[in-house]
Amino acid sequence: MKGILGLTIILTLAWLPTTGADLTLTGSTTVFPIIQAAAEEFMAKHPEVDITVRGGGSGVGIAALIDGICDIAMASRPMKTKEIKRARADGINPCETVIARDGLVIVVHPANPITSISTETLREIYTGKINSWKDVGGEGGTIVVISRDVASGTFEVFKKMVLKGKRVRADALMLASNKAVAQTVAQTPGAIGYIGLGYLSPHLKALKVDGVMPDAETISSGKYRLARPLFLYTNGKPRGLAKRFIDFILSPSGQKIVKETGYLPVR
Amino acid sequence: MMARIVVIAVVSTRLLLAGLAPGESNIGAYTWFRYTAEMETDELRESRFGLERGYLRWNHRFTDRIDSRVNVDIYSTDKYPAGAGLKLKYGYLNFKGLIRDAKLTIGLQKSYFGLIYDWKYPTIQKCLEDKEKVIASADYGISLNGNIPKGYGEYAIQVVNGEGYKKYKSLVNLAPALLVNLRVIPIPGITIGGSALFERSGPEYDRRLLHAGIARVVIGPLTIWAEYLGAELGPEGNTTRGSGFMVMPALRLRELTGIDIDLIARLDRWDEDVEEIGDASIRATGGFNWHLLRGKKGKIGVVLQVNWVRTIYEDPDQGPEDAVMAQLRWEFVTKPL
Repeated sequence: MKGILGLTIILTLAWLPTTGADLTLTGSTTVFPIIQAAAEEFMAKHPEVDITVRGGGSGVGIAALIDGICDIAMASRPMKTKEIKRARADGINPCETVIARDGLVIVVHPANPITSISTETLREIYTGKINSWKDVGGEGGTIVVISRDVASGTFEVFKKMVLKGKRVRADALMLASNKAVAQTVAQTPGAIGYIGLGYLSPHLKALKVDGVMPDAETISSGKYRLARPLFLYTNGKPRGLAKRFIDFILSPSGQKIVKETGYLPVR
Repeated sequence: MMARIVVIAVVSTRLLLAGLAPGESNIGAYTWFRYTAEMETDELRESRFGLERGYLRWNHRFTDRIDSRVNVDIYSTDKYPAGAGLKLKYGYLNFKGLIRDAKLTIGLQKSYFGLIYDWKYPTIQKCLEDKEKVIASADYGISLNGNIPKGYGEYAIQVVNGEGYKKYKSLVNLAPALLVNLRVIPIPGITIGGSALFERSGPEYDRRLLHAGIARVVIGPLTIWAEYLGAELGPEGNTTRGSGFMVMPALRLRELTGIDIDLIARLDRWDEDVEEIGDASIRATGGFNWHLLRGKKGKIGVVLQVNWVRTIYEDPDQGPEDAVMAQLRWEFVTKPL
């Protein structure tokens, strides 16, 4: 019995991820700016600590947590049942921490005269029923539809809230990050896209959705409906350095970073 | 007849839906190139290279609620002048959303039994029930399969021909088989489950009852699979009972060495008729899987598998057999759906 216990302890210790960094976070590009800024401040306060932050999308982060190649998964959507099942089967007990709130912002090129859009019109644009800006009160021209790819939590949330499960049109440009969507829309006069609040910049124009402009107040109050929590997932309750880092994000200093990066604090 | 109806239904529905909604597709290719050396009582019997298996897979999503898969299995064989064979391995439609986290699958599909339906070939050899031809890995039929909420496991209820995907038309009997499967994950790292297949009559027997119990334990980098397998064939009072088991520990060395290698050991025992002496065999396997490249989300990209297998027979007149196999597998999918 002692032998089995000893073997278990040795194997469990040996299993701890050895990526070179003390703490590795992987996943959502929406959550990425918060974590990157928080990691920089945390490492400045604790120079002995090395934190690595990687993007890839919520799905990639969750897969990395299950495969034991990251300590914390960043996600802009909750884990799916099949992901939780796979994690549990592989000895991973996903534990969820909400660190911020975000709004999905519908963006167009600043030269676009459109200021507002309804959820229904968005759905028709993204499913291919509407192709011209003229059909939504614009000056004409083809709508260039920009979306996130399927590994993205932002895509999943958009699909659920706006598309009601329907498919994105086949000619939509599927991009791998919020940054790529923001850059493409900023450079394409006929484009429409959706991004996390933190990626909004003067190079983009945010649209009101169903008459409501996304901002801290409308998202907090629930008036702006395209809102969602942002998550960190750990294997079991956070411990050690992961706990210290998550506690830091949830502290007043960490929540200030959340606000500074354009998202909404939860505390 | 049932198989033909199912295939016609799947193809017709696919064409109809493809016409209504173009949808989105991905394709995958899976290729297994293998070297095998077989020895019988220390005498070399066979030494060859071969492309043992190739799959072409086409997944298509019509809507979020309807998707499909077609898998064509290509294999080397001396049976035909061309030196290769072709079989339809999967051809099914999934209907989702009828029950939360579940789908209705119609067509040529996986057999939700024991370890066969999610066997990822950690050893080059098939899983016990497939290797001993107790059940085929795919069959024609209808199933309801889904996940238990909060990740506590999965279930399946299936009605199939019972004879497997290679048998069709004249080799398929009149009675369908009923298959049930349940897997539970009570605590993270421990999976337990059981499956049963019941068939009233078959082309070679009057009654068939198959049952399997499985367990999978994960402790850090160590994973241990265990399976019990039982088969009862024939009418009441004249039943042939077979039984066997498999135990397979695998140790992941990636975190220990930085090299993505798994060490695998496996022990199988199968006794086709427990009342007959001399028909059982024990098979011991040792080897490793070296993941040269991981695919998307950790799935196989390129892996080198090396296995040594020793088979010892209960029959004292039959000497032990050894096989050394080295297999290079490469698999890709164009994009996830």
